[in-house]
Amino acid sequence: MIPEGPGCIRSVPEAVMVSFCLRMAGCILMVTGTSGYGLWMSGRYGRQLGELEQLRQMMFLLKGQILYANAPLQEAFEAVGRRMEGRLAQLFLQVADRIGQKQGEMFAQIWKDEVDSLQDEVLLSGEDRQSLAALGEHLGFLDREMQERNLLLYLEQLDLRIQEMREHKKERCRLYTSLGIMSGLFLAILLV
Amino acid sequence: MDRKEELIKIFSKDIRTILRRLTVDFQQVQEIRLRVQAPLLMICNNLEFYITPEGTLSKRADEAYLVSRQELKETLEYMSSYSLYAFEEEMKQGFITIQGGHRIGIAGKTITDETGIRTMKFISFINVRLSHQVRGCASAVLPYLYECGRILHTLIISPPRCGKTTLLRDIIRQVSNGTGPEAGVTVGVVDERSEIGACYQGIPQNELGIRTDILDCCPKAQGMMMLIRTMSPQVIAVDEIGSREDLEAMEYVMNCGCKLIATVHGSSIEDIRQKPVLRKLVMERWFERYILLNNFGKIGNVDQIYDSRGTRLYPIGSGSCDG
Repeated sequence: MIPEGPGCIRSVPEAVMVSFCLRMAGCILMVTGTSGYGLWMSGRYGRQLGELEQLRQMMFLLKGQILYANAPLQEAFEAVGRRMEGRLAQLFLQVADRIGQKQGEMFAQIWKDEVDSLQDEVLLSGEDRQSLAALGEHLGFLDREMQERNLLLYLEQLDLRIQEMREHKKERCRLYTSLGIMSGLFLAILLV
Repeated sequence: MDRKEELIKIFSKDIRTILRRLTVDFQQVQEIRLRVQAPLLMICNNLEFYITPEGTLSKRADEAYLVSRQELKETLEYMSSYSLYAFEEEMKQGFITIQGGHRIGIAGKTITDETGIRTMKFISFINVRLSHQVRGCASAVLPYLYECGRILHTLIISPPRCGKTTLLRDIIRQVSNGTGPEAGVTVGVVDERSEIGACYQGIPQNELGIRTDILDCCPKAQGMMMLIRTMSPQVIAVDEIGSREDLEAMEYVMNCGCKLIATVHGSSIEDIRQKPVLRKLVMERWFERYILLNNFGKIGNVDQIYDSRGTRLYPIGSGSCDG
């Protein structure tokens, strides 16, 4: 009889069994992990699209404030920022606050600084951030018609981007999810 | 933020630095003038001074700080909070009113179309006219504005820079709150240029009394009608009347049983009589009191007060105008 307890020698089938169980557990964890990552990526894509849609809505509200309420930029940004939620709304409120401080900076600089300060707090891509930052270079310039044109131009860019993302949403989400699962399975097969 | 700091922040960075060094009491400052490649000027107690780069006042032009085009451009940006587009309509008239009720006069090249002046570009001249709130400055004239406990139709006549808006503001405040034996009454103010109440986001920054309703940035003629229909005021106050539409609206107001307090540019009743549009209101004796201002000694100095027949009530003594 083989004595049991710590440091004892297991029988060969039992050791194989333990090793098999560990490998299986590892595989399951790996597949779960990569699948989770795939799902997270898929969700991230959706959230990114959501942010762009929110930005679009905020730009429409800003346009309304400027054109119909004839609000100066500070008032317009503040009004829109208060109506919405999230980091982008905070961006508008911060811009309004900095305009109010009257520190002697040009508006384009204020806007760029605040857009840059978003960093990883929003999911917008580098390209999206660049076009958002560029909007500040022309806001406030000339008359109301010019403000409308600037905002419409930016809205057009946003629309194209949103349309593109919507068109690819299904396949991208499916791709991220399946890539997650498949890469997990592939690694599991490779390592096991 | 104190008044001086609040004001300084509308200027470009370099001019801010200079103005910060000034030891002048900004309550006494009437105007600050900026012209491209010309000295920075300040009108203080009706005296003109050059502002030096060191931040002192001087009487010598060669010591003055010269304003550059870039500084003027920057100043315009800050004055309008980067939103010149929001002042389009005002710019057509050559001025914008900023937070605090200060009036910024601008001049440059006007762009016209078939409807008139569309906008202005190459703005090279700026005149910052500081708004002052002098509580109690109307106390001396108020006894003349009441008869048997009721307020009278009053016209304040004054040349520019004599404090007619300041006087009107204090009359409104005291009539609204009530003064001495006179009870307060509901006052409607049509503040076309945001100078009387200096409303910011609808809230008056100047004290206009507890029974005052303000229509901000509203054309006077339309505003008077609106107030009559909606707010049932006992007194309506307007600044700088002059157009035919204003006159029609005033006639309507007076026939509605409302009392009117208004201001107009001029130096005498005779002056008003010479104006084609305003002649009617003097000839037909619309107003029961005329207050004439001058700027001798202090802002808002009351020169003379007349009744509707042109009899002088102040200073007391024989005298009349040919009204």
